Amino acid sequence: MTETRTTAAHGGAIGMHGIQKWFGHFQAVNDVTLDIRPNEFFTLLGPSGCGKTTLLRMIAGFELPTEGQVLLDGTDISRLLPNQRPVNTVFQNYALFPHLTVAENIGFGLKMLGKPKAEIDGVIRDMLKLVHLEGRGDNPVTQLSGGQQQRVALARALAPRPKVLLLDEPLSALDLKLRKSMQMELKRLQLETGITFVFVTHDQEEALTMSDRIAVMSTGTVRQVGSPWDIYDRPAERFVADFIGETNFLEAEVVSVSGKSARVRLSSGAEIPATFPADITPSGKVTIVVRPEHAQAGAPSPASLLRGTVHEIVYLGTDTHFHVRLDDGTAFTVRQQNARSGHCGFAKDDPIGITFSDDVAQILRD
Amino acid sequence: MSGAQEAALAAEKKDIRSRWLLSAPALLIIFCAAVGPLFVMLFYSFMAKGDYGDVKFGEFSLDGWTSVLFQRDIFDDTLGLADAHLSIIWRSLQLSFFTTLFTLILGFPTAYFIATRPQHTREVWVFLVTIPFWTNLLIRAFAMQQVIRNEGLLNNALLWLGIIKQPLQIMYTDTANLLGMTYVYLPLMVLPLYASIEKLDFRLVEAGYDLYATRFQVLRRIVIPLVKPGLIAGSILVFIPSLGAYVIPRVLGGGKNMMLGNLIEMQFGSGRNWPLGAAMSITLMALVMIALIFYVKNASRGGAGHA
Repeated sequence: MTETRTTAAHGGAIGMHGIQKWFGHFQAVNDVTLDIRPNEFFTLLGPSGCGKTTLLRMIAGFELPTEGQVLLDGTDISRLLPNQRPVNTVFQNYALFPHLTVAENIGFGLKMLGKPKAEIDGVIRDMLKLVHLEGRGDNPVTQLSGGQQQRVALARALAPRPKVLLLDEPLSALDLKLRKSMQMELKRLQLETGITFVFVTHDQEEALTMSDRIAVMSTGTVRQVGSPWDIYDRPAERFVADFIGETNFLEAEVVSVSGKSARVRLSSGAEIPATFPADITPSGKVTIVVRPEHAQAGAPSPASLLRGTVHEIVYLGTDTHFHVRLDDGTAFTVRQQNARSGHCGFAKDDPIGITFSDDVAQILRD
Repeated sequence: MSGAQEAALAAEKKDIRSRWLLSAPALLIIFCAAVGPLFVMLFYSFMAKGDYGDVKFGEFSLDGWTSVLFQRDIFDDTLGLADAHLSIIWRSLQLSFFTTLFTLILGFPTAYFIATRPQHTREVWVFLVTIPFWTNLLIRAFAMQQVIRNEGLLNNALLWLGIIKQPLQIMYTDTANLLGMTYVYLPLMVLPLYASIEKLDFRLVEAGYDLYATRFQVLRRIVIPLVKPGLIAGSILVFIPSLGAYVIPRVLGGGKNMMLGNLIEMQFGSGRNWPLGAAMSITLMALVMIALIFYVKNASRGGAGHA
């Protein structure tokens, strides 16, 4: 295993510049520019049909960009065939060769590269150990469980020591528990091999738990790129805020802007500081977001930033959700952790006051 | 408990009985139309031949079987190998093998092409492949004759283009037989191959390219092993009728390039040697059987366990 770590310690950097992809009259990818750093766990996140898989397939070489360039460590690979790119893919439904054994599947890439048999056998042994399938090398892949097939698919793609590993929703066919353990497993493999991982998923939780950075996509464009923290706490636009987690949207008016922070006036008249995406200067009417777990519910008081009435209380074991109707009519959700057992202190139709600290509001791009 | 078990056993017995009863008509037809005549043939092959065809009933003789491979010298009555029969059997095997090979070479790309078209156009292509079946085999054989005869389409075109000075003699050669049979049996290769390739998961092809395989390696290591069932079915469907082909060698091969089918027909017609004809028919069946066993054994090796 140490050998694997040292020999494949250099993940490749992927650059995508001005990528466009048309299928007939349908534009799947619209002017995407992305830089994926070496040794990074990078996730393309978005709903189905957002172009994330098409983007991945262009890195793999299965699709050619209609316009734009794909760079690997600075070299243009846009026009290379898939078998000329030092990039391997873990397919959505594994696409294991059903007529070959586990070992033959794992060794396929190296065999095609014309490596000597002794070397291939060594790598197969290492890979079986890496994915915890020792002793299963001679099994036909059709006899393995879903999770084991998943591991073989990973081992097969890692065996030729690619510079970049592409993963196309590899966990979507697994059940929840297996998915959780494979998430940890993937992260471990990425750290151990040092290979750049580009991961495609529509599952926000998967993206948040594993990624170093995430690109959120919708309708063929990249909406925001950033760390999981950036994406969750500082969403740049409504789509990103809405797609990841639950959130509250509030109308507000910009009062002043200084440096990286602005002051906005809420509909209740309260003034609070708010952050905003680096590429805009907010002014006039804006939408701000506050995550439900960043707000606190309490009895109405002069310190309350927002006031309303309790519309519904949902008890979820670990949390309680207060669905509040604010005085101006907008809906607002507060999520409170249940610290101790007992009644939450509110009943339906009670008046309620909402506060949140100075650093949680974020202004969205229009 | 045992009462319930007995009841279950009785029900199962009844079930089996009713199944036999239901399949009885089909079994009867199979027996009368296929198995029965085979026994008649077997019986005839061990009788002495009649003077004007037919057999002499009750007169047991092995002459029919010995003359499949051997012939009696006219002068000293010793047995020698029947060269004519052997060369016809050998030619039949050869022609059938090459017919299978050529239909495979032509049929595989065709089937692959059809299987990779969009869903709705595939049906059109399959339909087009089956069009030749609309006409009688004899008519198709004569159509082929029109193409390859000395003043036919092919020769005229080649002459006109100045590629040849003299018309090519294709008619009444093995080449004519091969061309005719390849043409006639091609759909029998394309259809099972298509059915197999259509089921192929093309993501496996992508996975192959992703893992550095060249086009040829993808074909050899992924596509061919996975469509093997279609490959075997197509080859069997072409090889068997080729071995017993009658119309094509009769029309295109003329009299001198006989195949087994023609030889057998001759024994029942002008040859007036029914026992020999019967023995040869059974020999032909045995040849087919051996070829099948050999082929299936060979083909299933390597593609182990994959349906």
